[in-house]
Amino acid sequence: MNDMSQVPVTVLTGFLGAGKTTLLNRILTEQHGQKYAVIVNEFGEQGIDNDLVVDADEEVFEMNNGCICCTVRGDLIRILGGLMKRADKLDAIIVETTGLADPAPVAQTFFVDQDVSDRTKLDAIVTVADAVHLSSQLGEHHEAEEQIAFADVVLLNKIDLVDDKAVQNVQTRIRKINPYAKIIKTNHCSAPLTEVLGLNAFSLDRVLEVEPDFLESDHDHEHDDDVTSLSFVSDTPLDMDKFQAWFGNLLQEKGQDILRSKGILNFEGRDDRYVFQGVHMLMDASPMGPWPAGKDRSSRVVFIGRNLESMNLQEGFERCKVA
Amino acid sequence: MSDREKFLREKISSLVPKETELENRGEHFDFHAPVTCSVTTSHSIAVGFGDGKVRFFFEGEKPRIIDAHNGVVLSIATNGEYIFTGGDDGRFLKLSQNGDIVEIANFNSRWVDSVAAYKDSMVCSSGRNVYIWSGDQKKAKSLEHSSTVGGLAFDHTGKRLAVSSYGGVTVWERGERRWTSKRLVWKGSHSKVGFSPDGKYIVTSMQESELHGWRLRDKVDLAMRGYPAKIKSFAWVGDTPHLATSGDHQAICWPFDGKDGPLGREPVCVADCGKQISTFIEPLTGEKAIFVGFNDGSVLLSELDENKNPFVIRNPKGSEISAIAISPNRSHILIGDSDGNILWSTLWKNN
Repeated sequence: MNDMSQVPVTVLTGFLGAGKTTLLNRILTEQHGQKYAVIVNEFGEQGIDNDLVVDADEEVFEMNNGCICCTVRGDLIRILGGLMKRADKLDAIIVETTGLADPAPVAQTFFVDQDVSDRTKLDAIVTVADAVHLSSQLGEHHEAEEQIAFADVVLLNKIDLVDDKAVQNVQTRIRKINPYAKIIKTNHCSAPLTEVLGLNAFSLDRVLEVEPDFLESDHDHEHDDDVTSLSFVSDTPLDMDKFQAWFGNLLQEKGQDILRSKGILNFEGRDDRYVFQGVHMLMDASPMGPWPAGKDRSSRVVFIGRNLESMNLQEGFERCKVA
Repeated sequence: MSDREKFLREKISSLVPKETELENRGEHFDFHAPVTCSVTTSHSIAVGFGDGKVRFFFEGEKPRIIDAHNGVVLSIATNGEYIFTGGDDGRFLKLSQNGDIVEIANFNSRWVDSVAAYKDSMVCSSGRNVYIWSGDQKKAKSLEHSSTVGGLAFDHTGKRLAVSSYGGVTVWERGERRWTSKRLVWKGSHSKVGFSPDGKYIVTSMQESELHGWRLRDKVDLAMRGYPAKIKSFAWVGDTPHLATSGDHQAICWPFDGKDGPLGREPVCVADCGKQISTFIEPLTGEKAIFVGFNDGSVLLSELDENKNPFVIRNPKGSEISAIAISPNRSHILIGDSDGNILWSTLWKNN
């Protein structure tokens, strides 16, 4: 997934009223010298009129391949295929999802469909969140949690409508679900477009930048449905066979609850760093060149999902260490 | 030139494939927009492009250019005399071979993904709906489906229309007063659809890199699997027909003769092109032979016989073959690729 000729696709999520349309209108009207196509859903907030706006139904299809959480967006496969036939080359494509959409099928489409992954690449999932309403939305709709959990960037919008303390609270809430997303605080979605588009967040290179923080989060009062994250580090090299067996099994059995995972791995007897990132059960993995000289070779893995506590992740990870 | 240089030059020139006879005598065009679709009409070949243009190729003439759509020409069909196109500008158009354009419908930001035509009936799909105009009706009959339409096809009588979508195919039959439907179910997303020439089978290509077929008499399922890539093209070849399909390193041709068709039988595999994947299939009209286009731009001609060697018709140019068409009286061939290159040539040497 790293050919330069692939057109980057940004997925824009967020609840109704959070400000997605404001951002889309900026993307379409600002003088940036770039050619963007925007795929909007039928039930969008308001009409956006532009030649490069495509109407889509969010059609989530199950694949026939036996993978229980392998759902894809059929309409995206069709529309991205059509956009790739244009005579003029697009600089980027933005896919807007409805407020109640699960971002997973969109992301999975880029793993599953060969034509889509040959010609386009998932750039980043950007979630627009309403600083006023996010906290209550997180309590009421699991889709809101998923949108935060999947995000590479959270645009925390409408901060002018709440006081500093409330902004702080909602940030803490976001961090608890997803400690790795970049949070940008804005009014009227006025963040520079360079911080929203062209991020390459799904490239395996970028996984190398993952720096899990070890703030022990307090899991006591959370109920099972809450999305949380867990991360582990090991300075002891890992056994490749053991890791593959554990991780493969984990994704197969618990993939529905693991929303996103990423990691950098130091395998015993290997000079290369191994990098992976996954969405539910689907995973992209590759050696990414040797470890930098003079730096610690430590393995780091991160999981964002539901019921993580029940998966004995710490124990499983520990068992992969070379004895 | 040193001996070493000489040696290298010879070595390199031996690696560059020589022009094929067809490339040598044909005309070459670069239209700078992907070739998206093509169809053979009563007097010409019509080709759709990614910049909205349609070009008509008549034997012995320069191509005629029509500015049809404000975007990609997504689909094309003909009733023989006129061509019908759907575009990503949301328009469904009727074009005469002289270049007259009539806009039949405009769905704006909803694309017209598929079109079909039979005599005085014309059909297009936009989203989940299929719109049919018959005879001199001004207003279309609208048929709704449960998900976005993947493909459309009339049978050889024009009385039945197959519409593929998620979960199967809906077969509409034209009655005295109205259209009635029956549903053929198979899990997964179905795109291109076609009837066998005798109308006994329906076949679809699927998102899952396989084909699915139904024998209409008893709705028996036919699963045709084992492809490494999606099947972008299929065509019926010969009188006791084979279904020739792309999506593998060669053309996979399933036998549809006998009463059970391909059930429990092996396909005939021809036109092997090593590591390349076939992307387009076009029968050589009247023969048991096919032109097979590949993702590197090469085109082979092969009989449906595993013991015969294929002929190289076009050398690889780098981008995938997206159109092959034979002219109405079988004198010319047109080959188009996704970079906008067209090769237009007489099919036979002394033509």
